[in-house]
Amino acid sequence: MSAPTPEEAARLAEERAAAAREQGGYAEAPPSFEVSPASEIGDWRITEWAMIEPDPTKAYSTRRAGTPITWLKRGLLRLLRQYHDDLAGQQSRFNAHMAAHVMRLDERVRELEQQLEAERRGT
Amino acid sequence: MRIQQVLCAAGPVDAVTNQAFACRRLFGSWGWGGEDASAVLAPGMDRRAVRPLSALRPEPDDVVLVHYSGYATGLERLMELPNRMVVISHNITPARYFWAYEPIDGLRCALSPAQLAELARAADVAAGVSEFNAAELRRAGARDVRVIPILFERERLGPPPPAARRPGPPTVVFVGRLAPHKRQDLVIRAFALYRAEHAPAARLVLVGTPLAPAFAASLARLAEEVAPGAVTFERGLAPEELWERYRSADAFLCLSEHEGFCIPQLEAVHVGGPVLARPVGGVPEVVGDAGLLVPTDDDGGVDLAVVAELLHLAVSEPDLATELRRRGEARLDMFGLDPTAARLRAALEGAEAPA
Repeated sequence: MSAPTPEEAARLAEERAAAAREQGGYAEAPPSFEVSPASEIGDWRITEWAMIEPDPTKAYSTRRAGTPITWLKRGLLRLLRQYHDDLAGQQSRFNAHMAAHVMRLDERVRELEQQLEAERRGT
Repeated sequence: MRIQQVLCAAGPVDAVTNQAFACRRLFGSWGWGGEDASAVLAPGMDRRAVRPLSALRPEPDDVVLVHYSGYATGLERLMELPNRMVVISHNITPARYFWAYEPIDGLRCALSPAQLAELARAADVAAGVSEFNAAELRRAGARDVRVIPILFERERLGPPPPAARRPGPPTVVFVGRLAPHKRQDLVIRAFALYRAEHAPAARLVLVGTPLAPAFAASLARLAEEVAPGAVTFERGLAPEELWERYRSADAFLCLSEHEGFCIPQLEAVHVGGPVLARPVGGVPEVVGDAGLLVPTDDDGGVDLAVVAELLHLAVSEPDLATELRRRGEARLDMFGLDPTAARLRAALEGAEAPA
């Protein structure tokens, strides 16, 4: 059998995939991770982000021989840990209140929409 | 003539930054001067090569060339300059891909269309790197809209390897930022199916800087689940290392849901490896008939079993690979440096777009 042309390849691949599936091939378990585009961020993600946790490994040098600078930066972070923990705590507290406030507002809007819908149906 | 290039964000491994440097080399060869500036400078960016946007002081006769890649503060003042301005849109990814993973990027993408529209309307020439991008600029109401593809410096990639397949297990490669719209999760799963059905020793190499550590970790976990030990993630490669990855690949697989141009496809075509791609955005314009376009359903979705079978055909049918390689030469001529440089020069000089 001669090789398929590029135009024929897609159709041939579809036929072979269908045939293999009939024989029980191409069985795939549900993936543990799949990209899911979203038009908005879910509540759980907002709450997750609300509690900030700065990553000390983000302190690094991009210079060619920057290893000592990286260690210096991380050493300074260690020395200032108490101050940074307090700062992160203040920011997280504000974020958490804001996230909770937004969720309460969201819930109220949903209730009002339901009431409005019920009133429309009643009239 | 002096060209002042403006970038939205500049980074050491950023594709748009590299494109600006390619333009600068071209301007140098024409005897043109000027400097490069950026609204945002990423860590590690050489600040002698690209200056902060706030330092931009164009002379009245300078032409301002904006490489637009995403929302940035400070670009508004470009619209107040009396200079001739050319805006090249390098594509904006829809925000929906970022909200769940990196909301700051999501916000930038959400703000970008309006800012690009304003810049494009104020520009003397607005260009997209593909017709797909140019159509967005027309919809935004730009006056003179053109297509100026990415400058593809083929010579810098070195000569392509011999056409014959290397012995050993097949290697599949994809080059692109580890980001949700690039759908590396689908690449990994399609590769795993191919491996299970046809090539148990096959390898997948994913080259790209992650959008976020958590996103990269999710991809790595998925890879370990479906193809343990067979997927390699690489980033920050030197050009020679990157070309070596292309040369050692038996197929280039791109399942992105959104692409404005996707220059890695052309790089893979240059090296001669079969390109398999989902036909979205600028992809069909770029790879054309020199690649295997993956069939899609009405929603643009792909059947991963079909992708796996296409991979098998691409790797195991030498005549098919030879035909793709032959067609690839024509694509490379179409996107050669000279025709693209002529279009860019005409836009900057205020001439009509060459045919």
